Amino acid sequence: MTSVAHDNVKLLNPFDRLIIGMNTLGSVWILFLILLVTTDAMSRSFFLHPIAGVTEMVQISIVGIVFLQLGDAIRNGKLTRADSLLTLLQTKHVRLAHGLETLFFTLGAIYMALGMWASVPLLMEAVERKSFLGNQGVFTIIVWPVKAVLVLGLLVCLIQFLRLAFRSYQLAFHAEHSSTTLVADYDI
Amino acid sequence: MMDFNSVSVGIASVIAIIFFIYSGVHIAIALGLISFVGVLLLKGNFDLALNLIGLAMADSVTDEAFATVPLFVMMGLVVSRCGLGRDVYEFGNLVFQNLRGGLGIATVVANAIFAAVTGSSIASASVFSKVAIPEMIRYKYGKRFAVGIVAGSSVLGMIIPPSVMLIIYAVVTEQSVGSMFLAGVIPGILLSVAYCAAILLMVIIAPRFVGGTVSGAPRPSLRLLVREAFSKLGPVALLVCGVLGGIYGGILTPVESGAAGTVAAAILGALKRRLTFDAIWGALVDTGHITANILFLIIAASIYSRMLGIAGLPTMFGEWMSGIQMSFVAFMFLYVLLLLALGTIIDTASIILIVVPLFLPALQPFDVNLIWFGIITVIGAEIGLLTPPFGISCFVIKATIEDPTITLNDVFMGALPFAGVMLFVLVLLIMFPQLSLALL
Repeated sequence: MTSVAHDNVKLLNPFDRLIIGMNTLGSVWILFLILLVTTDAMSRSFFLHPIAGVTEMVQISIVGIVFLQLGDAIRNGKLTRADSLLTLLQTKHVRLAHGLETLFFTLGAIYMALGMWASVPLLMEAVERKSFLGNQGVFTIIVWPVKAVLVLGLLVCLIQFLRLAFRSYQLAFHAEHSSTTLVADYDI
Repeated sequence: MMDFNSVSVGIASVIAIIFFIYSGVHIAIALGLISFVGVLLLKGNFDLALNLIGLAMADSVTDEAFATVPLFVMMGLVVSRCGLGRDVYEFGNLVFQNLRGGLGIATVVANAIFAAVTGSSIASASVFSKVAIPEMIRYKYGKRFAVGIVAGSSVLGMIIPPSVMLIIYAVVTEQSVGSMFLAGVIPGILLSVAYCAAILLMVIIAPRFVGGTVSGAPRPSLRLLVREAFSKLGPVALLVCGVLGGIYGGILTPVESGAAGTVAAAILGALKRRLTFDAIWGALVDTGHITANILFLIIAASIYSRMLGIAGLPTMFGEWMSGIQMSFVAFMFLYVLLLLALGTIIDTASIILIVVPLFLPALQPFDVNLIWFGIITVIGAEIGLLTPPFGISCFVIKATIEDPTITLNDVFMGALPFAGVMLFVLVLLIMFPQLSLALL
């Protein structure tokens, strides 16, 4: 890793902490979901008394969990892709590989930006209309907090993709380095 | 004229997506972004295309069935970390140790049983490459054979329910997750039996490839067998009965059985004193990464499938197929060929999400059962896990084994016969749909 990239780690450390924190929150949420669904199934089977609103809770949770953990998944290089060409280029044309990476991460950032652009109005609408899920009188759950998590998650992914793009750009055009940096190693 | 234009935009988008994926763009990004551009070109309306992305992100994973993804992934990871895979393998070893090729058969059988409590091939591949390969090498089995069998039988994890791939297919085609699980049972058992038969055959026709010595240990006594079955097989059997029995008995929904199975596995692990809090936490974090990745892919695939619909590509494709009066056999032949080709470079989930929306309408004139078609799709795409240049299962095994003398090439060569067996079973399943549908 070059010194430039190393400085970035120090500079953006709070952001890393944010991503890891969100990921932790998502993991706790999954644990909560497992316990909630199990308790509901038990309570329904043995005491004929289901917990109200579990279905709605499950439905709303999935989006929340995905967007809390997506940023960390991107940071750890867990997003699926076919990296065969990059691996091939890595041995002979390192700079080209990093150049392509810059492009690919930028595409990721554009996609996240489009997602945010589209999701912010949906969040505003949910806040204004006080939209909820479920049946009134039985169980209702307000939806804007999850939409807010979605927007926050997209913002974090956008920034993470920009960081990765920036690092690849430096490796491609500025850094003087040997051909040892791995493409897959973007755990900054 | 308009029709022609929209169809060509659709085709261009599909080609661009494939090109981007092959160049190395993240698959979800390629699918989502190019589909967005496709809709933009088709409708000439930026707000509409943008809205499509917004709705896909907010709404396309809200179905309760999607919760089965994290739950079964988590259950599989907990089960792996409890060492239940090792237990089952040790039991299989005890039963088959006096047979030539017996350790290979033990690996297949243990994998099949383990597959009934995990939903992923990767979990199976990493567990069994640590457990089974050193054991087989200790008994002088051929290295290629040892790694090949672990790679080949790891695929069972995706076919024998619960399986994340069956879940993904079910949610994409709006089939019931429970029915897909049920349809996977006989094909999974059939593939396991075919592997065992292939091993026995290899012992005869290629003894050098198999290698191996019989352990020479005395036949285990019945009492030992019963005791071992109770302690090593018992916990797994309990989980299988609870999870699959719960679904088929109608007591539990798939979501509930995934959650309850995870809790049960964690309790078992705690009782066996193999599961620390750190291990559970690690499993939760991994679950999060895997889930976020798969569901983000599904979000992108929903934008893609809307784009295809707007372009009218699937309908056109279906009409074209019935127009040239392609026979069903020819259609399936081409379909499997496509799956194999894609499987060499991208993972099973992505293949399902790219191919299925495109082919679904084309199936209408043939009046096929979508559950059967799902089993064919999953197995066809899984063959790619074993074949070069980019078989994922083989990479996992190479990464997990600590023996530097086994090269990636060895893993691929060893897995090749098993990929062949898979193809053979796939042909059987295509010829006899009852095999997949009998339990429904």
